[in-house]
This record gives sequence, C-alpha cells and structure tokens, in this order.
Amino acid sequence: MAQPEGTVLRDPEILKEVRPAKMPRRPIVENDRSFHWITEKVCGIVEGKTPIWWWIGFCVCGMVASFVGVGLIYLVAVGTGAWGLNSPVFWGWAIVNFVFWIGIGHAGTLISAILLLLKQKWRTSINRGAEAMTIFAVSCAGIFPLFHVGRVWFAWWLFPIPTSNAVWPNFRSPLEWDVFAVSTYGIVSLLFWYMGMLPDLATIRDRVHGVARKRMEEARTVFQRKFEIFYYGFRRYFYGILAMGWRGSNRHWSNYEMAYLLLAGLSTPLVLSVHTIVSFDFAVANLPGWHTTIFPPYFVAGAIFSGFGMVLTLMLPLRSMYGLHDLITQYHIDCICKITLATGSMVGYAYMIEFFIAWYGANPYEGFAFVNRAFGPYAWAYWIMITCNVISPQLFWFKKIRRNAALVWVVSIFVNIGMWFERFVITVTSLANDFLPASWDYYTPTVVDIFTFFGTFGLFGVLFLLFLRFLPLLAFAEIKAVKAEADPHYQPTQEDSA
Amino acid sequence: MSADPANISGPRRDRDFALIFLIVGIVALIASLGGLAYGVHSEEPRYFLGWLISTSFWLSLGLGFLFMIMLSYLFDAGWLVVLRRPLEHAVGGFKYMALIFLPLLLLGIAFAENDFVAWSWIDEARITATGDPVGEDPLYLHKAGYLDSAFFALRFIFYFGVWVLFAELLRQCSFRMDREGDPKYVHRARKLSAGGTIVCAIAVTFAAIDWFMSLEFHWFSTMYGVWFFSSSMRGAICAMIILGFLAATYGPLKGIYRGGHTYLLGCLLLAFTVFWAYISFSQYFLIYSANIPEEVFWYNIREIHADGTKNSWWWVSMGLIFGGFLIPFILLLWNRTKFGAAVVGVAIWALLFHLLDLYWNILPGKVWDAATGSYIVRQFDIHWMDVTTFVGIGAICVWAYLVSARRERAIPIRDPRIVESINCHE
Repeated sequence: MAQPEGTVLRDPEILKEVRPAKMPRRPIVENDRSFHWITEKVCGIVEGKTPIWWWIGFCVCGMVASFVGVGLIYLVAVGTGAWGLNSPVFWGWAIVNFVFWIGIGHAGTLISAILLLLKQKWRTSINRGAEAMTIFAVSCAGIFPLFHVGRVWFAWWLFPIPTSNAVWPNFRSPLEWDVFAVSTYGIVSLLFWYMGMLPDLATIRDRVHGVARKRMEEARTVFQRKFEIFYYGFRRYFYGILAMGWRGSNRHWSNYEMAYLLLAGLSTPLVLSVHTIVSFDFAVANLPGWHTTIFPPYFVAGAIFSGFGMVLTLMLPLRSMYGLHDLITQYHIDCICKITLATGSMVGYAYMIEFFIAWYGANPYEGFAFVNRAFGPYAWAYWIMITCNVISPQLFWFKKIRRNAALVWVVSIFVNIGMWFERFVITVTSLANDFLPASWDYYTPTVVDIFTFFGTFGLFGVLFLLFLRFLPLLAFAEIKAVKAEADPHYQPTQEDSA
Repeated sequence: MSADPANISGPRRDRDFALIFLIVGIVALIASLGGLAYGVHSEEPRYFLGWLISTSFWLSLGLGFLFMIMLSYLFDAGWLVVLRRPLEHAVGGFKYMALIFLPLLLLGIAFAENDFVAWSWIDEARITATGDPVGEDPLYLHKAGYLDSAFFALRFIFYFGVWVLFAELLRQCSFRMDREGDPKYVHRARKLSAGGTIVCAIAVTFAAIDWFMSLEFHWFSTMYGVWFFSSSMRGAICAMIILGFLAATYGPLKGIYRGGHTYLLGCLLLAFTVFWAYISFSQYFLIYSANIPEEVFWYNIREIHADGTKNSWWWVSMGLIFGGFLIPFILLLWNRTKFGAAVVGVAIWALLFHLLDLYWNILPGKVWDAATGSYIVRQFDIHWMDVTTFVGIGAICVWAYLVSARRERAIPIRDPRIVESINCHE
C-alpha cells in the first residue's frame, strides 16, 4: 500500500539481502563532457562560420524547392488535370505525398511528448531536430491537399466561416476533420518546439556580445568588419526577441517545466488523432483495401516508423559533420533503431492481419483487392513496400548492424522509400481496380507530379538548413539537465574530483 | 538460497492459504463441470459460454502480466522491478489455465453436434441464424479450412504452448538471477522478451479470432486481436494495482511498494484506458460508418432485437462507454487518484468493466428461432455457472501464485535495477 509521506517505514528484512548485479545504464552524454563543453558545441553550430557544405546544400535544396513553385503555378494555371489523375484514380500522388509527409511529422512530437511522459531521458539529444523536422514536414504535407482542391483561392471554404453564400464544409467527411486536426497539430507542434527552445535561445542571446567580439577580431577586410557589425545587430535583436526575456530564474524554470508538461499532455492525443483521422480518410470509404478496422493504430504505428526513419536519415549525417558523437551516442542510435524495428514489425503485423482477414471475411472484392496488390499490376510497388518496411528493419535485431552508422543510414532510406510506397499501394491499387472492371486503368504520374513531390524535399531541405544555421540543433539545456551532475543528490567520485 | 521463512514471498501462513484456495478452486470447478455436463444434457450453450467468459477473464490477466514482464525487460524499466516478481508468480499459472481451458476444446470436439457447443461452425449440420445449415453457408465454406476442428485444436496447443514456454523461461531467468546474480540472465530475458512479444502477439491475435470472433463466424474485424491485447493489458494493470496493494498491506512488499509505484501504475492505467477505448471506438466507428450487413450485424445485436427494439446489451454498451471508459478516465486525470485507496478503487471498478467487456464480446449471439422464423439475441445475464467458474479459476490462479511465491524471494534481489525500483518516486 502506498505510504503517506512522512510515515516511518519498518525496513523490510529482505532489503538487507539486496545486492544488485552490476549493469550500469549507458550514459546519455559520453566522455563525461562538461556543461561548458556542451554549450560550446551546440552554440558553435549557430555561432561559427557557415560551412561550405551548408551553402552548397542550401543552393541545391533551393533549386529543387523551386520545382514546387513551378509545379504549383502550372497546376493552378491548367487545373488538377496536370496531375496524373484519371477515372477511377481520383486520388493519386497528392494524397500519397500528403500522408507520407504527415507521417514523417509524427516523430518530433512522439519524441518530445510521448517519450517525455514515459521519462525516456535519451530523447533530449534528438528531440529538437525531430521537432523541427515535424514542422517542416507538416508544411510540406499541407501543400498537397491545399492544391488538390483545384481552385486554391477557395481553399478557405474548408473553414467553417459563415458567408453570404452559405457555403459550409461537409462536417461528416474525415477530409474536413483533417483540416482541423492537421492545423491544430501544426500550431501545437510549433508552440512546443518554440517553447522548448527558450532557455537555449536565451543562452545564445547572452553569448552574442562575446561571439561578436571574437568574430570582429577575426575579420580582415573592411567589408568583413561591416558585415560583422550588421550581423551582430541582427543576432542581438533576433535572439533577443526570440528569447522573450528569459533570465533562467526559478520562476521561469518552474513555469517552463509546467508548460512543457502540459503541452506534452496536449500533444500526445493530438499526434495520435492526426494520423487516426488520416486513416479515416480511407477507412470510412466502402472500398476494398481501405475499409479495414485496424487502419487507425496501423497508420499511427506507420507514422512513427517513418518519422523515426527520417530522424535517422537526418541526424546520422549531422552527427558526423558536427562531431556530435558524445551527445548523439550509440545508445541513442540503438534506441531509435529498436523503435524503428518495433514499429516496422507492427506495420508488418497489420499487413499480415489485413491479408488474413481479407481471406477470412470471404468478401470476394476484399480478397481480390489484396491478391491484386500482391500479384496484380502494382505488385512491384507492393513488394518494394514489404521489403523496405517489414524485411529491412529486421536487420536492426543485430547489434553489429546497429553499430554501423552507414548501414543504419541505408536502412533508414529504405524505411522512407517503403513508407511512401505503402501509401501509394493503399491509395492507388484500391482505386485503379475498383468494382467496375470496365473502368480499370493503370495510374501513371505526370512530370508535374514527380517534380512537385521532388521539390518538397528541396523545400524541406531549405527549411531544415535554415534551422541548422540559426537555431540550436540540440536542446542543450535539457541535455545538461539529464546529466548526473544536474541531480541535486549527485556526489562526485574521487575520479571526478581529480 | 536462504531457507529463512521470513524472506519468502507469501505470508507466513501462506501454506494454509494455498491449500484453502486449492480446495475452493477444485470444489467450484467441480460444480462448474457439473454445469458443463448439464449443458451437454440440455443442449444449452449458456454453460459453455459461462466457462469461456470466466476462463477468458483470468487468461487475459495472465496475458497482460506476461506482456508487462516482457515490456519491462525491453524498456529496461527500473521502477517496475519489485512488482515484476508477483507477476512472475502469477504467470506460473498458465499451465493450469491450459488444463482449465481444455474441457471446452474436448467437449467441443466430442459433442460437436450438440447445441451446447457455442462455436456453431464446429458442426456443419447446425442451423445458423439464417435458418440454413452451417455446411451450406457460403461464408463458412470459404473459411472451412481454417475453422476445422483438428486445426483448431492444433492452434490451441500452439497458443498455450507459446504462453507457457515464454512464461516459464522468463520465470527461470529471474529466479536464477536471484541465486547466481549473473547479468547474463537479464540479457537472456531481454532476448526472450524481444522474440516473445512478437510470437505472443500473434498467438493472442489468433486466439481472440478463434475463441471469440468465431462465435459469430460470419463476422470479421482486423482490429479484433488488438482489442483483446488492449483489454488484457488494461485488466492486467488493474490487477497489478490490486496485487500491489495486497502485497504491501498483508504480504512481503510492505515498505517496498510505495506511492511512486502506485502513481506510475495509475498513469499506465490511464494510458491503457484511453488505448482500449480508442481501439474499441475505432472498430465500432468504422463498422458503423461503412454499414455493411456482414459486419454491422455484430453491433446491431448488441443494441437491438430482431424487431428493432432495444435489448439488454444496449444498457451494457452504455455501461461500457460511461462506466468502463469515461468515469475511470476522468478520475485518473487527477494526480490524487493515482495514490492509495483511490487508485485501488478505480482499479477494482475498471476490472469489473473489463469482465463486462468480455461478456459483451462473448455472450451475445444470434440464435435461430424456428417458432418465429427469425433470430433471437442471447441476452445479458449472470448465470450461476459464471460465478462458480469465475471463483474456481480465480482460486486456482491464486493457489498457483502462492505456491510459486513460497519458493522464491519476494523481490528480485540481484536484479541490476532493483535499487532504482526500491527508491522509485513519482
């Protein structure tokens, strides 16, 4: 029975026998890095000179992102026929891309909110990057349904604004629920991301003067000096405004912790509801392959799977380039790999049970939809999906593979590819071969489809690179808080003192 | 291992308790076996279903405990270690559960033609709710290969084989760790848990399909296995809270199981209450929304009679929504209800609704009524058979627990995370 506080407990006899075997938990920060080292390392990314690779990446991503603009302008000019939609495939790449990006956007909130509630301290090294990824992925996702409405200038009709025309959205449609779910999710994720950054932004703000002095000393030409003066002014106000007067007082920290916890509590049902509603987009339709009751948890598991895949894709190269091995340790990679393995297996379970019930249910249309997926005209897509989503993550069972960063990265790419194909398989195979064989058609995307989707990777890249350059990549205040030294009961050993 | 009787898990007089529970269990089960015999004689399936409901309740708790043990290893959860030992004792009862479940299988096969057997597909001559024999039902004919008695029995062996195997292996790892203190047992348990989670999840899914879903063999839902998992987990967490309370009040966890543990268990109960509701609602919503006859009838009979008037299941459904979800959900949002007697009260309440949920899933069924030429829905009732079987199986489970507890330490004294667990705080 829980004892009220202050009660003096009789020490149970058995406690005298307790002799735990030695199996220490793996450190979250390796090589016993000091608080100062952590601050220098993370702030150094924002304060140091812009690396050449950043400029190259930014230019390439910027060019690729321009495809989005061109593709969308063309689409608006000529209509949604510019996409490869036909009868009966009225949903093509647009919905596939939407679900793909939304899925990626799940890892950030999962890491920040759900892992926080589960008291998983390792989240601190990767949550910031994942949250940024969430927001940029949601931005990319929003483009597709927005332009899929055809006349994008009427997209505001999706909101229930009373108008003189009395145009009301169909509240019974999950597509309408998406509008609220995704926009709420985007806003709360943004708040969560920004609020979590406050202590780190304040640290960068407080370092602006020192950094400016150092950079000025290194400036050689008049132009460089003038640039540094301008840059100093920019940074002073940019971080000053963003830090919102954070002083790190007890009251600030107390309010911050409470707000962070509340936002985590709010975000958790939100993140689960978003992909549940996305799954309803399909599952409420009486279409074989779409109407299946396991869709909600299966879509959520798939979203977490794809989100963690993208976290690995992004964080592994950054870890290498910025030398963050002591902060994003092998332990973190192991944890992410294991979550990817678990969620990949859940997705595999859903594929298996869908197939089984399609047969067990004895509905010939349902049975056909699944056999057609595996052996019909889109079998190539189906088997890519199975290979990437079910088979490739099974490699993470092996420690040797988890310890090989290059291999982990390759598997993460497979996960990204596989999850795009999963949405393709669900969307296109069920539509292309519907109830009326006379209307069957093979769906092929157009160049506009391909380039617009390709462009969103550029857009995502541009946003992420800007984030890298101007905002703290790792939540260093939180990383310090989970170090042993931050514990009020911490007692340094003799080695530490030496 | 020390033979000091003060350090064993059970209370000092647990030998007597174990014997009492064993006697009660045997007596109650003998009464239930009499019920089964009468059911066979009177061709009344209610006796069969009574046994199935009670077995499923205790089995679901065992399955939830098994998953909790495996998840605690997989997550390397420190706080749960002191509670893991009671769970290890509890899952020792799986082998007896297999024996207790066996009469249903044997009677089902031996008296297939008897209406007493609620799995109607087992007899091709049985008249279905549409008035036609099972053997002429196109939906049955399609899945006859799966719903085959021999294959069904094989699957039964597989399910219990898997659960008993993993439960025993994990128990052995933990008990040996106590004696030898070698971390290799923890590593072994982790590996077992990783593989076991997948195999047990598959076994749970198909067990739910075989034992519950096939009661109405026309009906199907891909979510059903997940529902049984979520329901079992929720029930198991409730049982853990009650078990922890008893062990800390009367048993060996006095002064060890504290507020931190109850708080975290309360949080888990909140999470799984929401998860169970999410899964149940999603399944309902998608079937309601699609409104396809071969699916939606399953919910219809849980609401209305053939003539469209409300039946007793409608009230049970409302009870599950409000009593099973809403009340525990609201209560558990408060920090205060995650401690002390409050959390135990919520756990008992939720556990009762877990039982009701099993009634709701297992008992309703369409029965052909030759007199009216239509079907009637089997209504909600609590049969004496339910009570005796529930008490009988429960007493056997407690007996198995006490026998196991008598032999081992009260807590895993050599576990690497034991100190974290003893010092657990919210």
